[in-house]
Amino acid sequence: MSATKIKFINNPEQITSELLEGYVMAYKDKVALAGENIVVRATPKSEDKVAIVTLGGSGHEPALSGFVGEGMLDCSVVGDIFAAPGAQRLFQALQLFKREAGILLVVLNHSGDVMSANMACQLAERMGIKVKQLLTHDDISAGIGAPDEDRRGLAGCVPLFKIIGAAAEEGKSLDELLEIGERFSQKVATLAVAMRSCTHPQNNGIITDLPEGIMEIGMGQHGEGGGGRQPLVSADDTAAQMVDLLLQQLKPAAGDKMLLIINGVGATTHMELSIIYRKACLVLEEKGFEVCEGRIQEILTVQEQAGFQMIIARLDADHIDYLKNKRADAPYWVTIGK
Amino acid sequence: MDVLSIDIFKAMMRNALMHVKLREDEFSKLDAVIGDGDHGTAIVTALSCVMDPLEKGTEFKSMLNDMGFAVMLQTSGSTSTLLGAFFLGMSDYSAGISLDAGAMKAMFAGGLENVRKQTKAQKGDKTMMDALIPAVEAMQASTSQDIKELLVAAAEAALQGAQSTVQMKANFGRARNYGEQSIGYADSGATSWSCMFASFAEVV
Repeated sequence: MSATKIKFINNPEQITSELLEGYVMAYKDKVALAGENIVVRATPKSEDKVAIVTLGGSGHEPALSGFVGEGMLDCSVVGDIFAAPGAQRLFQALQLFKREAGILLVVLNHSGDVMSANMACQLAERMGIKVKQLLTHDDISAGIGAPDEDRRGLAGCVPLFKIIGAAAEEGKSLDELLEIGERFSQKVATLAVAMRSCTHPQNNGIITDLPEGIMEIGMGQHGEGGGGRQPLVSADDTAAQMVDLLLQQLKPAAGDKMLLIINGVGATTHMELSIIYRKACLVLEEKGFEVCEGRIQEILTVQEQAGFQMIIARLDADHIDYLKNKRADAPYWVTIGK
Repeated sequence: MDVLSIDIFKAMMRNALMHVKLREDEFSKLDAVIGDGDHGTAIVTALSCVMDPLEKGTEFKSMLNDMGFAVMLQTSGSTSTLLGAFFLGMSDYSAGISLDAGAMKAMFAGGLENVRKQTKAQKGDKTMMDALIPAVEAMQASTSQDIKELLVAAAEAALQGAQSTVQMKANFGRARNYGEQSIGYADSGATSWSCMFASFAEVV
């Protein structure tokens, strides 16, 4: 079966450019294209504030470009399906955002993205562009307490965008933003579960085939196996098991204020996501934590993979303020705040 | 020979590209043992990118800088990142159109210093660093004021370093997962960098 028979696409080579064109047409008051595969705000933030830029492959919509907008990202540099954008395009974006206040580049820990970022930053620094990197590594499937470099960046980057985006809007310096973001990064953990794997939209190849009745906890963002295959259990049992693993990583203290997000990865309905959220929230509350901010949404998807990512974070007071009270107006994240 | 002129440096780079091309398949086959088998292609592509700014260059600093930008912007992957970093570091420690022994040593040391900022690999990890580090160290350790002697010392140390990787167990990056299986074969990156240093010495 060819890819065109199971998906509404045209030429597989043009998926990324066509999806980005459609996206900026739909949200033209908020976002625009500033070059090939470079998504920026329709109305730029003032130049005396730090710009926040990120990068990543397409195929994960609405991530990451869905969070470009007031109070969140200034720019998202997009690669082809599941692929890093390369140093050249990222360097072009860094040149666009050159400013005294500097650029904070958020990099999800995937080898291609990290390499593109390192190269582009090295060149940018030689051109007098002030840029610092913030590496995200929220995935816990490499094992509890695994070193940061072994942990991938999953959808935990999205609440991070909200927090540092709001702080940048407030006029925080590059170093202050780095501290705020790094502190959140150390307190956010994500775990993914899949029960049906995804296909690659350009060649229709199946990435890891999960047998019927089996789920895999720890599945990567592109369907890479994570090791935790087991028979499918109920929504409540799945949720409870995942909360338990995430708390082992986070080691919260009673009374901690928590963020809980259930991110659908493509083929799991909001009905199911809500049922999962219910149990996860109940478990957290039973353990004496206050869930002070929540969300059920497809923020980062993996084609028609069935499953979800559970994101839990221990929030500091400033993180709560940035998440809940500060205005954001990106196509896929709106907060009515000041 | 007392000085390294920009013209001789250009000849060294052309010779390096020629020899690397001749051994492209060998590097890819070595890489296939513990990697994705594309190192031959990667190093040839990366070196090919620097030829245009090399030929256009009129003095060391800007030429090496442009070579670094070219390789980093035209290709991606670890081979080009490290080669690009090497040229950018050399650019930081060079000037003018001819270098005496001390200036050439400083230029190569600057290249190594910038590569070290990109990779945590050390000598003994079975990577290209097993050729590059001894090559630059041998050049620094020599008291000769002769360009040729310095480049020969670097080439000999690079070759020894590359050969020493045969007995090593991969200890860096994805290759680490191959463990004992990696013993018995030279590292592809160390071999290609040793080939470059041999080509440099041959021209002078």
